[in-house]
Amino acid sequence: MDKLNLDQHISRQFNADLEELKTQLLEMGGLVEQQTINAVKAITTPDSDLAERVLVTEEEVDARELKLDENCTLVLARRQPAASDLRMVLSVARITRDLERMGDEAHKVAKMAIHLNEHGEAPRGYVELRHIGTIVHQMVISALDAFARFDVDLAISVAQEDKKVDQEYKSAMRELATYMMEDPRSISRVLNIIWALRALERIGDHAANIAEHVIYLVKGLDVRHQSLQEMERQVKEQ
Amino acid sequence: MEAIVDQTAKVDPMNKVNTELSKENPEAHDLSGLETVGIPFTDTAKMSMRDVNVFYADKQAIFDVSLDIGQNEVLAMIGPSGCGKSTFLRCLNRMNDTIDICSVQGSLKLEGQDIYDPKLDVVPLRARVGMVFQKPNPFPKSIYDNVAYGPRIHGLVNRRTDLDEIVETSLQKAGLWKEVRDRLHSPGTGLSGGQQQRLCIARTIAVSPEVILMDEPCSALDPIATAKIEELIAELSENFTIAIVTHSMQQAARVSHRTAYFHLGKLVEVNETEKVFTNPDHKLTEAYITGRFG
Amino acid sequence: MTPSPKTPNTMDVVNKNLAKRYRKEKMFRFYGIASISFGLLCLLFLFTDIIGKGHSAFFQTYVKLPVVMSADALGITDVNDPHQIAGGNYQGVLKQALRERFPEVTDRRGKRALYGIVSNGAGYELRALVENNPDILNTSLDVWVLADDDIDTYVKSRSSREGAYTGRFTEQQISWIESLIESGNVEERFNTTFFTAGDSREPEQAGIRGAMMGSLFTLLVTLALSFPIGVAAAVYLEEYAKKNKFTDFIEVNINNLAAVPSIIFGLLGLAIFINFFEMPRSIPLVGGFVLTLMTLPTIIISSRAAIKAVPPSIREAAMGIGASKMQVILHHVLPLAMPGMLTGAIIGMAQALGETAPLLMIGMVAFIVDVPSGITDPSTVLPVQIFLWADSPERAFVERTSAAIMVLLGFLVVMNALAVWLRKRLERRW
Repeated sequence: MDKLNLDQHISRQFNADLEELKTQLLEMGGLVEQQTINAVKAITTPDSDLAERVLVTEEEVDARELKLDENCTLVLARRQPAASDLRMVLSVARITRDLERMGDEAHKVAKMAIHLNEHGEAPRGYVELRHIGTIVHQMVISALDAFARFDVDLAISVAQEDKKVDQEYKSAMRELATYMMEDPRSISRVLNIIWALRALERIGDHAANIAEHVIYLVKGLDVRHQSLQEMERQVKEQ
Repeated sequence: MEAIVDQTAKVDPMNKVNTELSKENPEAHDLSGLETVGIPFTDTAKMSMRDVNVFYADKQAIFDVSLDIGQNEVLAMIGPSGCGKSTFLRCLNRMNDTIDICSVQGSLKLEGQDIYDPKLDVVPLRARVGMVFQKPNPFPKSIYDNVAYGPRIHGLVNRRTDLDEIVETSLQKAGLWKEVRDRLHSPGTGLSGGQQQRLCIARTIAVSPEVILMDEPCSALDPIATAKIEELIAELSENFTIAIVTHSMQQAARVSHRTAYFHLGKLVEVNETEKVFTNPDHKLTEAYITGRFG
Repeated sequence: MTPSPKTPNTMDVVNKNLAKRYRKEKMFRFYGIASISFGLLCLLFLFTDIIGKGHSAFFQTYVKLPVVMSADALGITDVNDPHQIAGGNYQGVLKQALRERFPEVTDRRGKRALYGIVSNGAGYELRALVENNPDILNTSLDVWVLADDDIDTYVKSRSSREGAYTGRFTEQQISWIESLIESGNVEERFNTTFFTAGDSREPEQAGIRGAMMGSLFTLLVTLALSFPIGVAAAVYLEEYAKKNKFTDFIEVNINNLAAVPSIIFGLLGLAIFINFFEMPRSIPLVGGFVLTLMTLPTIIISSRAAIKAVPPSIREAAMGIGASKMQVILHHVLPLAMPGMLTGAIIGMAQALGETAPLLMIGMVAFIVDVPSGITDPSTVLPVQIFLWADSPERAFVERTSAAIMVLLGFLVVMNALAVWLRKRLERRW
């Protein structure tokens, strides 16, 4: 994967600009990744302070989104990038949006953690939450790694992971639904868990989106809205 | 868009190229085994060139270029200075004939007819394949005479009214009529640079060519004049087949249907323009359009 | 500006050298001014000398004599016979008039000196008078007649600082002239003879018309031959000829020919046109041929330069819409190169106008009195005429020489002005 050597432009400033975009994005990704794991921890530990920290970080993530968007716009306006550079800037812009959404979802999870701490713990669902949280966290890390290393294979594996998350989420739903039918008094508390699970599932989706953007960045293929098999076939063919 | 005829040309370029080329410096690559990647051929070819080699005395300027220009297509040719794109363009209507030391080998056909056939008269060829040059070069005559010159020398019209009509429609097609209709008999050199270039385009289309070759038509113009010419190229492609050499990659991206990338006299890649500018097949193309060397 | 430790240092050095630099520049400019002044000074000297010497040639001294137009004395018996009128003894009548004006002269030598007061061509003026108006026969009238060149010179130099030029005059002759002047019978008039007459042994009757016409015919022949040939050669060499050793050889030779001394062309013309083709000597046709040989290199070189200067973009534009080679040349290259070619041609013509040496070789140095009326009449040309007059011993030819030089310079100025005008007129911007 040596096609993306972003550092050989005649204009060194252009190299620096692109490098800066990449660094900023990875920093923002690091924040979001931390948010995700902290939000899950805040519920499972439970730890309201940690949840509060996630809420605070969310503002930082939003600020970084604005900054990255601005930088992308500037690069587009100044350099009229083409080919890999263009894909780089576009991917950064798209991944930024996904990261920001992930931050929002993590924010929701953190809110649920505070809620659960204030109104009593849910009787069930923590195992599932921890389990899905771990998978999703790993997905986020992998997606960011895939971006950092322009690793298509890793990106595909992230997309595959997303299927697993979806299945885990469905089975957790079924189980919690059954539980709520058994014990209607716990509905409001279990619902909080369900919201949190839902948010984690969404984070997984966004991580999968990031993986797709990485594939676009490296291969120039737009693999959105396609089945996993189709995606893999196209990537191999390229 | 043109159907893709020759898929065999696409011999897994990425892997091939990646093994051939070292990463560090794209300019230092050995291009000896290079084959054109992408889709150089179409099945609606207006002009088809096969294995074209051009020499200036002993020095070879073009190496085995094979390329089709489709009917009503806008084909952009890009590449670093001295890559042979202008030389190749000038072969297409034998403008290189004027250079004694220049010799052209290979097959160059306009609708199946060999344009380098010794029996072929170059004058009607140039009427069929017109050319617009880098620097606006109107004749030091009136606007009217500039446009009327081609029809006159080819004897296309007999009556003055017919000539008037050709002049008017040509200027209209070139988007210049409204600006100059009140001063048709003032000198063409008195127009602004952009207007002069459009006058040159009008002069070219006045002889109703089938193909228009443009050699960096906007390099001497300001952005607004450039935008007008680009707009004009889009309109002209409805009636004409256009091959344009440009140094502005954005321009190639804006106006062309297909883009050909030349490097050191070789045709490296031909692809749909969108493809070239978002995800080129060849590493050299990528390096050029992203500004890694030039 | 923030002063870095180095800046003041550098500035000091710069300032130190500044005065020296200015001085050098002043010197440099001074050299230019000095050479231009020197050139101007020489020119000024030349002009003052020529004009100072030559301006008086435009005036001619006339003497008034009371003449009795006696038909008997003229030897005319039939007034209506033009032959008789043309053959009349007008000079005799003039001599008679002179004898009557100065009755004190009786001896033969004195009389001959007396007759020298009027030009020996003065009789023709009387004849013209009679031919115009035969009624004046047998009447007595005052006539202004052309004075002899010595008288002319004396009268013109009377008021000069060096004193009057007396030359071979005797006291007696001077007293006659003074008495004529005192009685108001001597007058200076504009010298029309100078512009209407051909050459003559007598300065007062000599004119440059013959030489002017000779120059004109010679130049016409030269222009008619050298311009088309030169332009055609230039077009071929620039547009058609392949660049190879042979064309290089031709080019070198053309450039060399432009530097060949003109007398060589004269020898060539003598050998080819006169000895081989046996053409007559002294005629403008042969002179034109020779000058054509001489001006061709100039015209070819300047035409080639003019053709080269046509922007290639115009050529390409014409070819790009399918003009053939000839159309490109005729419609675009030649019209654009025309000002340059014409300038070259006119400069070449001006050169030819001033050329003497080659014409000496083909006999255009002969003494020819008749004004030529065609390219095959023997004639001379202006510069040769100047050369001839400068060689003549008569004092009055000195001023005529200068006057002829002025006329020649006038022609050159006019031709160069024409070149500038044509260039301005035909030049188009692109």
